[in-house]
Amino acid sequence: MSETIDLGLLLVDHQLLDSEDRRCGNVDELVLEGGPGERLEVVAILSGPGAWRGRAGRTGRIAAWLSGGERVRVPWEEVDTIAAHVKLRKRAETLGLGRGDDRLRRYMEKIPGANR
Amino acid sequence: MKVFQIALGILAAIGGFVDIGDLVFNVSAGATFGYQLLWVVVIGVIGIIVYSEMCGRVAAVSGKAVFDAVRERLGFRTSIAALVSAQVVNLMTLTAEIGGVAICLQLLSGLPYRSLILIAGVSLAIVVWVTSFNWIERIFGYGGLCLLVFAVAAVKLHPVWSAIGHGFVPHMQTQNPLLYAYFAVGLLGAAMTPYEVYFYSSGGVEERWGPKDLGLNKANAMIGYGLGGFLSFALMIVGGSLFLGKGIEPQFLGSITLGAEVPLGQIGLLLAIVGILFAVGGAAIDTLFAGAYNLAQFLGWEWGRYRHPSGAPRFTLTWLVLLLLALGAVMTGVDPVQLTEYAVIFSAVALPLTYIPILLVANDRAYMRQYVNGRLANVLGLV
Repeated sequence: MSETIDLGLLLVDHQLLDSEDRRCGNVDELVLEGGPGERLEVVAILSGPGAWRGRAGRTGRIAAWLSGGERVRVPWEEVDTIAAHVKLRKRAETLGLGRGDDRLRRYMEKIPGANR
Repeated sequence: MKVFQIALGILAAIGGFVDIGDLVFNVSAGATFGYQLLWVVVIGVIGIIVYSEMCGRVAAVSGKAVFDAVRERLGFRTSIAALVSAQVVNLMTLTAEIGGVAICLQLLSGLPYRSLILIAGVSLAIVVWVTSFNWIERIFGYGGLCLLVFAVAAVKLHPVWSAIGHGFVPHMQTQNPLLYAYFAVGLLGAAMTPYEVYFYSSGGVEERWGPKDLGLNKANAMIGYGLGGFLSFALMIVGGSLFLGKGIEPQFLGSITLGAEVPLGQIGLLLAIVGILFAVGGAAIDTLFAGAYNLAQFLGWEWGRYRHPSGAPRFTLTWLVLLLLALGAVMTGVDPVQLTEYAVIFSAVALPLTYIPILLVANDRAYMRQYVNGRLANVLGLV
């Protein structure tokens, strides 16, 4: 992934897919590192409503609060490819992503017909 | 075999084109202005064809559904506004459609309206929970084809064909231009209801369309919606032939069915009620899924109408909650027909928030490669 990409247009707000193509969140924020005069480097992706707080003022803070404020940090090394979606190298469970679906699934599976 | 499948899909699309908004606005517009507003339906149908084809193409080439594009292109803050307005319109539409199903059940059974609302809601939940989407599409699409009775009724009512021809040419013969404008906006909103494109594009992503499916996408959009538009013409012609100048405003779904009963008798009435029941019931399910798609795509959750309920748990929970909210709203006694009018007008106002991001993505060569919009699609889309 050495080519140049526009982070704002081709990365932020895009869908995350895990190694098995499961939808497991969005790129909600990026973590950049670099001292004064140095090149900024993307070191991680933040995913989850907790990352909205810094993005859209009061609207973002209210939305984050309403959604529980959870936030997962995905190290940049775990990013496999960036195309229409951002594909990760590992499974969502390993990276701590998609936990909302996993928690709810345990209850939903007990309802007849949920696994038809 | 493939041609057969396409034909089946198109039949289902025709049956699924008309929802409560089309029924209310086309018949009322006919009752108020005769055939004068037929040209607006043509523009609305061209609009929905252009945008559906565009959304389907974006889905096929980039793998993105509408709210993926909205979130990526409008930025977080504006896309929240787009999401909230889309969900409000969806919920209003869903409430109206469930009310419409209950009214049809009442016309068929004579049982009390409120208990039929519950029966309608629980039946929809069970159908969606236990039935695979392929079957839902077929059952409601083919059932909705009973609405073709209005096309027969339109001919049987012996309309003045030259006046109908004149209706396709934009003109205004009225003392009340505001009311004319209201119906024009309403007819556009009814034909271009946003949930249809949310639903259509998400289906394209889910069925893993690729560039090889672009022909199928074009055929679906043009033939399905185009022929569906004929049902809208028929409804307006029936409204104009039967109600205009008689002081009757078809404010109830029951009075719309008169349009088939008067020229065709009991069988016409029965087909009209069954057609409306399936068309409105199918639209309720599409709207239900559209609301769940929007939220899931905005938040990056797993989603899909072809998945079993526990395959996309938060998506499933979302449609269940939306159904409960709509049931609660319709139980307050709100008039479904009036609510439809508000929903359609509001959706016409909120249309740009849905359609502009799609227009932007469809023009983005980075995503769309050689499949970017042509000049015709851009001009029609902008108009």
